[in-house]
Amino acid sequence: MKTIPFLFVAASLALAQPAHASKGNAEAGKAKSTACAACHGEDGVSKIPSFPKLAGQHRDYLYHALKDYQSGKRKNPIMSEQVKNLSDADLADLAAWFSSQKGLSVKY
Amino acid sequence: MKTITLTLCASVLMALSVPVQAAGDPKAGQLKTSMCAGCHGIPGWRTAYPSVYSVPKLGGQHADYIVAALKAYKNGERNHPSMVGIAGSLSDQDMEDLAAYYASSYSGPAN
Repeated sequence: MKTIPFLFVAASLALAQPAHASKGNAEAGKAKSTACAACHGEDGVSKIPSFPKLAGQHRDYLYHALKDYQSGKRKNPIMSEQVKNLSDADLADLAAWFSSQKGLSVKY
Repeated sequence: MKTITLTLCASVLMALSVPVQAAGDPKAGQLKTSMCAGCHGIPGWRTAYPSVYSVPKLGGQHADYIVAALKAYKNGERNHPSMVGIAGSLSDQDMEDLAAYYASSYSGPAN
């Protein structure tokens, strides 16, 4: 059942220009975010001060951070383990999901 | 005997006067944001080429996390060039104050 939307996303991505991160799908991201919720909170507002709140963060920043954890450009033993087996589509979907939640804001 | 007591008391008091990290003060933090606001305070602002992405939102973030991030930039664990330079210029107290400001709902002297 989950395979169909995933294949749709994968096909769309395959046909899209790979120049920049795809927008991702928030609903798909929500389904993939169970592991994330353990530390970052179900609503993206983490209860643990050393784990950042993700809710409402910029989508492309979240995607960029996840990619950096994967490549090792950003070093964090917990996060690199978490993203090890995620696909590009997964990262885009997760970023879309957390960015769609209410929380963080631009503060001057 | 009185001298010894006095010396002992003085020593204890001096030992206790080691500077303790004061918790961050949002009001003090707001006065230190001149290097931050230009990137983190402008809606839609993005980083410079070649790696272009949105500058992360800080409003409402955990203070502890902001301090940890600033320290990571200062000691080289994280390596964004602008942040390394900026964090390098901040004292521990600056970091605590800035983090407290961004984490809180306090938004400036008028409020």
